[in-house]
Amino acid sequence: MLQRTRFMTYLSAVAVLVGSLPSVQAQPITYRIDPVHSFIIFRVKHLNTGFAYGRFNTFSGTIVVDEQNPANSSIELEIDANSVDTGNSQRDDHLRNPDFFNARQFPKITFKSTRVRKVNGTTVEVQGNLTMRGVTRPLTARVTFTGKGRNPRGQEIIGFETTFTIRRSEFNINYGLNGGLADEVRVTFAVEGIRQ
Amino acid sequence: MSVVLESALTAGLASLAVGAFWLLGWQLRRAEALLSALGISAGFAVLYWRVQGRPDFPPIDATQWVFWHALLAVPIGWLAGIAPAYRWVWVWGTLLGVLWLMVLPFRPLLESGFWSLTAGVGYILGFALSTWLLITLTAPLGAERGLATPVLIALLGGVSAGVLFYGAKSASLAQLSGTLGAVVGVGAPLALLRNFAIGRGAVVVAMLLFMSLWATALGFAQLTLGQLAVLYLLALTPALRLLPALQRQSPAVQFALPLATLLVVGGAVVGMTYSAYMAQSGNYYSY
Repeated sequence: MLQRTRFMTYLSAVAVLVGSLPSVQAQPITYRIDPVHSFIIFRVKHLNTGFAYGRFNTFSGTIVVDEQNPANSSIELEIDANSVDTGNSQRDDHLRNPDFFNARQFPKITFKSTRVRKVNGTTVEVQGNLTMRGVTRPLTARVTFTGKGRNPRGQEIIGFETTFTIRRSEFNINYGLNGGLADEVRVTFAVEGIRQ
Repeated sequence: MSVVLESALTAGLASLAVGAFWLLGWQLRRAEALLSALGISAGFAVLYWRVQGRPDFPPIDATQWVFWHALLAVPIGWLAGIAPAYRWVWVWGTLLGVLWLMVLPFRPLLESGFWSLTAGVGYILGFALSTWLLITLTAPLGAERGLATPVLIALLGGVSAGVLFYGAKSASLAQLSGTLGAVVGVGAPLALLRNFAIGRGAVVVAMLLFMSLWATALGFAQLTLGQLAVLYLLALTPALRLLPALQRQSPAVQFALPLATLLVVGGAVVGMTYSAYMAQSGNYYSY
């Protein structure tokens, strides 16, 4: 019995080791975005003075990682526009309205990658299409690998982070552009994926 | 440019547009029905463009239909001008035109599943029929010379702006509604100077645009059915002047009753909406 336990421990250790070595994996691996340990936050300048921050609480998606051939990697993300949260329910209602997301007509914000290119050992450049308020625009973001490991349930997890800036006017979100609220919105997406 | 200067410029340009069309109709004594409607249409188009930017056609975003309603409502406004001579063309043309205008913006809410088919058809028919009734009942106000009609409609725009701002929680719809009232209000100084009547077409296009803004606020923002119903009843208030009982009164009384109703009821509604807004969150969000 003791021998069997030792064998299982040894096997688990090998599995963890193999799982943490990116170079030995040949097949693309699909990860489901873990919404509990992932974050989509944004900031925009208010009245040309301070930054207002917000986040989306509900989103889902998948990340496909091919470490041998990064061009085979991809990401798909779907955000519930109604889940916007800035810590003030009046402002959140305003953001859901036609002044901003028009979330009743366009309840989803989506991103789908079209190309992934390796930049260096920990960074890839992801090109794709961001669709918001019925408008689709190309987006390029540098995505940094932040780590890999296992969660308490023993599932393999992987982490990435990216920060990029969009112009909201390109998505027909024009409210308050004349001095009220900046056009540029900086978005940070910190994601943890669970291997499927 | 500061927000205040920007708003003043927008209001000035819209006022110039509406004033130019109306005075042209007044001077020419021809095509008054068409130019009366075109004045509001042009004024609102200028407002929309400056507040919201250039709209697409056909709009991807359904809320942009408000802009196109301003243009598409012109034939209905023109029909209103010739209504006394062509009654059945006016009745059926208006009804079918309004129904078509109300289908356009709200189809996406049916397609996205936000409204069930039954609810969506109900809302669209409700919007169309209530708009038709509103413009039918208020159109004759446009033929009345004097301050009353433009002042009452301008006041309606102010009340509507307050309810849309705090109730629907949409600053842009509130801004469009308030400035629409201001555009109609251009008729007030003209009435003082030249005993001017803004015309049936102007009233019809303005009322149709108010309904379009309120329906948009109900469908896409947070305006409640109750708030829409109150705004609708307030929009009918200027037509109280046409009641036979009031027609027998002096012009001052004919003006004072709807004015008092709009001020008291409208003020109370804005106050209640503001209180509900303030109760929602401990910290006031000032947009």
